Amino acid sequence: MMAHLPSIALKLSHLQALVLFALVIAIAFGFLGRRQPIERLKYILWTLLLFLLIGVGIGWAMYPFSH
Amino acid sequence: MAEGETSAVAPARDSKSETMAFVVAAAGWLVPGLGHALLKMWGRAVVCFLTVGVLVMVGAGMRGNLFTSRGNDAFDSLGYIADLGTGSFYLVARLLEADGPDVSHADGDYGTRFLATAGVFNLLAALHAYEAARGRKA
Repeated sequence: MMAHLPSIALKLSHLQALVLFALVIAIAFGFLGRRQPIERLKYILWTLLLFLLIGVGIGWAMYPFSH
Repeated sequence: MAEGETSAVAPARDSKSETMAFVVAAAGWLVPGLGHALLKMWGRAVVCFLTVGVLVMVGAGMRGNLFTSRGNDAFDSLGYIADLGTGSFYLVARLLEADGPDVSHADGDYGTRFLATAGVFNLLAALHAYEAARGRKA
């Protein structure tokens, strides 16, 4: 039987999950995709903005089908 | 003469460099960020490690589905491949999910995506380290 680590229980809202996901991935992409700090920062902010805008946009686009 | 020596030495060097690139990629897959650390790309190494770590912790915390090799269909198999992409963190996720997955709520579904994203991102990072080790611009 496999021993388990102390489990963590997370309850995130849809928006919190979206923001966390977008932030983590934007930072990771920024570091992998760009070398210069200022370029990285611009890339991170731009990617984060697009993630959030497109995520919320798709959410609203699906809204009519949920009723 | 010098030209002949160069052409004889170059393939051996290429072969060694290619082997090294594979080692870097495998290390990067097994321990997220290790591939970049071997190349002394410290910032990228730390970010890769933390990104995969955070995504796995959050995914497991939300009780996402961690796929196993005993999948029922192609999507389960794809999910397994994606989850395996996290390397050693796959075991960490297994250990963290003491109560197993729960995808009856949106949280569990999101957790599944977090876990799969961690794996796919780590594969991308390992590929990035491989390319950097081969001398490609990265």
